[in-house]
Amino acid sequence: MLPIFLSELTQIFRNRSVLVTSFVMPIAVSAFFLYQHDVFAQIGSLGYIAAIVMFTVCAFGLYASSVTTLASRRQNLFLKRLRSTAAGDAGILAGLVLPATAVALVQVVAIMAVLAAVTTAPDNIVLLALAVLTTTLMMVGLALATAGLTNSPEHAQVTTLPVCLGVIAVASWVGISGTEELTLLKRLLPGGAATELVVNAWSGGVAVTDSLLLLAPTLAWVVVAAALASRLFRWEPRR
Amino acid sequence: MVTLPAASHDRWNRRMPTTPVIEVDSLNVVYGDFHAVQDLSFHVRRGELYALLGTNGAGKTSTLETVEGHRKATSGTVRVFGHDPADRAAVRPRMGIMLQDSGFTPDLTVAESVRLVGSLTRRTDEVGRVLDVVDLTRKADTRVSQLSGGEKRRLDFATAVYGTPELVFLDEPTTGLDIQSRDDLWSTVDRMREGGTTVVLTTHYLEEAQQHADRIGLMHRGRFHREGTVAELTRTLPSVIRFGLAAPAPTPPAATREEDGRYLVETFELQRSLSALLRWAEDHRLELRDLEAGPTRLDDVFRAIGS
Repeated sequence: MLPIFLSELTQIFRNRSVLVTSFVMPIAVSAFFLYQHDVFAQIGSLGYIAAIVMFTVCAFGLYASSVTTLASRRQNLFLKRLRSTAAGDAGILAGLVLPATAVALVQVVAIMAVLAAVTTAPDNIVLLALAVLTTTLMMVGLALATAGLTNSPEHAQVTTLPVCLGVIAVASWVGISGTEELTLLKRLLPGGAATELVVNAWSGGVAVTDSLLLLAPTLAWVVVAAALASRLFRWEPRR
Repeated sequence: MVTLPAASHDRWNRRMPTTPVIEVDSLNVVYGDFHAVQDLSFHVRRGELYALLGTNGAGKTSTLETVEGHRKATSGTVRVFGHDPADRAAVRPRMGIMLQDSGFTPDLTVAESVRLVGSLTRRTDEVGRVLDVVDLTRKADTRVSQLSGGEKRRLDFATAVYGTPELVFLDEPTTGLDIQSRDDLWSTVDRMREGGTTVVLTTHYLEEAQQHADRIGLMHRGRFHREGTVAELTRTLPSVIRFGLAAPAPTPPAATREEDGRYLVETFELQRSLSALLRWAEDHRLELRDLEAGPTRLDDVFRAIGS
């Protein structure tokens, strides 16, 4: 797995278009939210800013770029090449998606650290970390599933839109309007519970046990995404 | 290239005396309604070069990919080194695969690609040595996206021979290669075979199979049309004499007229038939134009089953 991980990491920094979509774009959006943090904290809360930043990075930097990478590696038969070696399927997939995941996590941590530095520190860092990790897992799972429906890197620009726009819409909706109304729906939508968890972890004032329950929907999405991925993922292009 | 000394080579053979490297029994591969491979059985012995030949859609790639472990058999058994080929950890360190289509990622360099794929085979080798073997040393730091088709094929070959595996699969290895690269590739394969490497080949170039293969499996519609050594295959076929005649001429004995107006004699006794034909031409004072005589070439076998 390590050789694949290192070679993918090399390629992220070598391919300009991947670097822009997975690195520059999310950073730019996040920078805007940080710069305007007073406005956005008034609209929602600091936790809302943290959630939006997390989902922007996870949707574009992690999810969309992973789908694009997997589709491209399949299209040029690199996946088949890797499967011609002694490497196992799980190791191959891990090697392919972990670099983007690591880059995304570094970005999320860095941006949240800046947010904490210019405003106030999060109330419960452990809870926040759990929210970030489960969200990351969910987005990786969704990326593997979406990659199964994506024929080419160009096609990924279309196939990734529903999830990208969906999770950001849900995060904005939940982050701005809270979960007092339509509680169940908001928590069950992908990203809804995670957003509420980030808000709780940053702002505090909610019992930790109540917050921990919010992990359940996100973990359920991880399971759904993994099940979809195992059904949909393809290693070779359709002939 | 490591060539085993004769003594250790013998020891090796004694240790694994009878088990074939590849055993395929009653293999069937079905895609939907399409029966790509039907009840195919064959064995490949250690050190052999076995060529799968056939027209497009004959089932050779399906067969090869099942043996490589890329594809599941619908029924039947496939064993490679006595293992299920899907057990990558067990079989892949011992085999190198040159795919039909290259499959490299454009943003890595040639050296990086060989190092990555090579290390994943779990064999050990020097990237520099392997690049030298395929004459890509000058291109070591070139990105794969900048390579020509032939250079990509050589890169593919480099990853297959990395660490000098016991078994090498070559799926149409010389397609798109110039003569020099083709000769270089075959001399590398020959050197590896001296060290005891087993080779499974598919190719469109029949002369390649005739020149290099020990045995040939000639596939047609998912089955073996014929299987055997090159000599066995050609021995079952008649020799042919071809010639033309100037317009008004009597029909020569035992000859059939072909569509292009030339005559064809098929015979299992080439010398006798040829001498009879020459005598007949002498007697009739006729000139046999563009006279050709010889054994049936595999091309002819190929054309015969294709039509």
